[in-house]
Amino acid sequence: MWAFLATEVLFFGPLFFGYVHGRAFQPEAFASASHHMHVVLGTLNTAILLTSSFTMALGLRASQTDRSPRLWLWLTVLLGLAFLGIKGYEYTSEWSEAASAAGGEARFYFLYYATTGLHAVHLAIGIAIVSWLALRARREMPIEVTGLYWHFIDIVWVFLYPMFYLLERYG
Amino acid sequence: MSYFLTWLALMVLLALTTASSYIPMGIFNTVANMGISCAKALLIALFFMHLRGASALLRIAAVTGLLWLALLFGLSWTDLGTRPSAPAPIDARR
Amino acid sequence: MSYLTEGFTLRSWLTTRDHKRIAVLYMIAITAFFFVGGAAAALIRLELATPAGDLVSAETYNKLFTIHGVVMVWFFLIPSIPSVLGNFLVPIMIGARDMAFPRLNLASWYIYVLGGLFTLAALIAGGVDTGWTFYTPLSTQFAEGNVILVIVGVFIVGFSSILTGLNVIVTVHRLRAPGLTWFRLPLFIWAHYATALILLLATPVLAMTLTLVALERVFGIGIFDPALGGDPLLFQHLFWFYSHPAVYIMVLPAMGVASEIIPCFARRPVFGYRFMAYAILGIATIGFLVWGHHMFVSGQSMYAGMVFSMLSFLVAIPSAIKVFNWTATLYKGSIVFTAPMLYALGFVGLFMIGGLTGLYLASLALDVHLTDTYFVIAHFHYIMVGGSVMAYLGAIHFWWPKISGRLYPEMLARIAALTIFFGFNLTFFPQYLLGWLGMPRRYHEYPPEFQVLNLLSSAGAAVLAIGYLLPLCYLGWSIFYGKKAPPNPWGATGLEWQTASPPPQHNFEDPPRVTRAPYDYA
Repeated sequence: MWAFLATEVLFFGPLFFGYVHGRAFQPEAFASASHHMHVVLGTLNTAILLTSSFTMALGLRASQTDRSPRLWLWLTVLLGLAFLGIKGYEYTSEWSEAASAAGGEARFYFLYYATTGLHAVHLAIGIAIVSWLALRARREMPIEVTGLYWHFIDIVWVFLYPMFYLLERYG
Repeated sequence: MSYFLTWLALMVLLALTTASSYIPMGIFNTVANMGISCAKALLIALFFMHLRGASALLRIAAVTGLLWLALLFGLSWTDLGTRPSAPAPIDARR
Repeated sequence: MSYLTEGFTLRSWLTTRDHKRIAVLYMIAITAFFFVGGAAAALIRLELATPAGDLVSAETYNKLFTIHGVVMVWFFLIPSIPSVLGNFLVPIMIGARDMAFPRLNLASWYIYVLGGLFTLAALIAGGVDTGWTFYTPLSTQFAEGNVILVIVGVFIVGFSSILTGLNVIVTVHRLRAPGLTWFRLPLFIWAHYATALILLLATPVLAMTLTLVALERVFGIGIFDPALGGDPLLFQHLFWFYSHPAVYIMVLPAMGVASEIIPCFARRPVFGYRFMAYAILGIATIGFLVWGHHMFVSGQSMYAGMVFSMLSFLVAIPSAIKVFNWTATLYKGSIVFTAPMLYALGFVGLFMIGGLTGLYLASLALDVHLTDTYFVIAHFHYIMVGGSVMAYLGAIHFWWPKISGRLYPEMLARIAALTIFFGFNLTFFPQYLLGWLGMPRRYHEYPPEFQVLNLLSSAGAAVLAIGYLLPLCYLGWSIFYGKKAPPNPWGATGLEWQTASPPPQHNFEDPPRVTRAPYDYA
């Protein structure tokens, strides 16, 4: 599983790479586009996702100590869905600005949608797997592996959040 | 219990990173943001993902992806970072 | 009861989870793609037989070399040895019953075939003229044709590669027979392990980079467009971060094959086993540090050019270790020139020529003259065809008795091996000269003074084509009429020779136990 996660890191690689290039060569455009992000919603979402990792870890512990992990797993699913819901709202409300952006700002929005979109796809897959586990899993192994995947998605978001939401907020 | 403490630490770090970005510090805003992100990632990896007690093999596997990403960035930056000061001859003539 | 007689229905093959059957499925699919790519190459050489662009139009020519490149790289070379022979041999060589994830293994074959047919359909109906490299901004803004569809196909096949890589890594870590320590592993396993690492670490970068190209084509905005402040060279960095290591995906397994065949037919243990293993890992790692040598004249900074040039020379060190050690293995051996040995020796020689001309191209100043000429074409064909394809054919012959349970006609096989060696050199050596004289690649017509060398090259291609068709015929024949093979026809060491030919469904009647180092000849 860790080998798979290494693959995933590199899968996100080109997106991070494009972002760093933009940040280095078009700092003003990236900062001004970043100001259009919903920082409150973004922060809330970060908190939600971090909490979901917490519930996921508790789910694994429950299964290791022969208690039912179901409650924790469903809670994780719920938090994941909440994240996606908020994200979806952000996407639609930012769309018009993104479509009319030009130059470096357009690149910022492109990267924003591509990177967080890829992240959202991963999360949706994660939600599907965790729901399935909550319905069926008896054993510890699949929960552990899925947990690693879930935490990985969380870590990716931990970096995406300051990258897209927190540029020169004081300005 | 350690899970709860981890979660608490993550929340504190989140508040810290958000707050810090409203204080103008120039380049150090980015440094702070990325530093805190790394700290959070490390917390998740060590405690939620149990890398703390993991075998050397797993730790190597976990670091490899990041290391390779660093290779991609680092070696590309020998180009992107130096192109203005050491342009290719074809650009230098222009 | 062998794996071949476990069931005869098509269904029993298409739903199998036996790694050996999946290997055979791969072999069939890959052979088909090889001949598709070969047909495109034949048309290219036919067009280049005369200086005028008279057989096909410039657009068609562009589409032809794109078909040739895309099919040969992603649908033949990359899966060739790892997916066919790796799949068949990795579990047997380490004394396991199967791969770690048999279902995943079958899934990756389906993904491969699906992606392959999809890409092929897109390439033939409509076509793409960007070449296999998809350089921006040509691919994002200007190229006509099915760029997006082909990218989707390559993306799909990337997953197949990643899954195969994962499977090999976990298999080698978890399923080794008792007593089979890391330094008792055959070099073939080392090579496949390193290849799997590259597959895992490089393929995702390609997948995402090509996705970005496709997105940029759809939306008209993206990170590579200079009008928006982007940089087309970003694409080249990302692309070659995958595509240079991809060369090692193709050639490392070939080195593994040579390291099995040469000791067997020289009747000597491989020289410097540990150095061979370290060299494999060294090549796999350094292979990731050199991609900028594809970009010397692209406008990247001079400083980067110098760094990448230096790093590129480093690859020569582990490569040379391997060539010297193969040669030292032959020293004072009792050498038998069987067909697999001819292929393996051909591999060593051609790989060496390809590698040494690579040093020319890694030199900054010389590359300015040689870049984008036929010298480059000749160089990488010496590595990929002279190296990988020779080794692939050698491996198919060497393990054919194990795979099919039959012996092939030895004399015919030797003739075919020599035909291929001769045809290959006749095809590609003139291209070194053409490139040195300055003939650029990717044009469908050329000045008449280049005709003699081009004609030689085209004639060589015809010989090569015959050489490739021969094994198809006699190996096919041997399945039905060949002599039954004993378990160990070559007197080779290695666990795969200690079980029946063809092996039973779970490879071994009794799980083997390993007590000795590999290559225990003497």
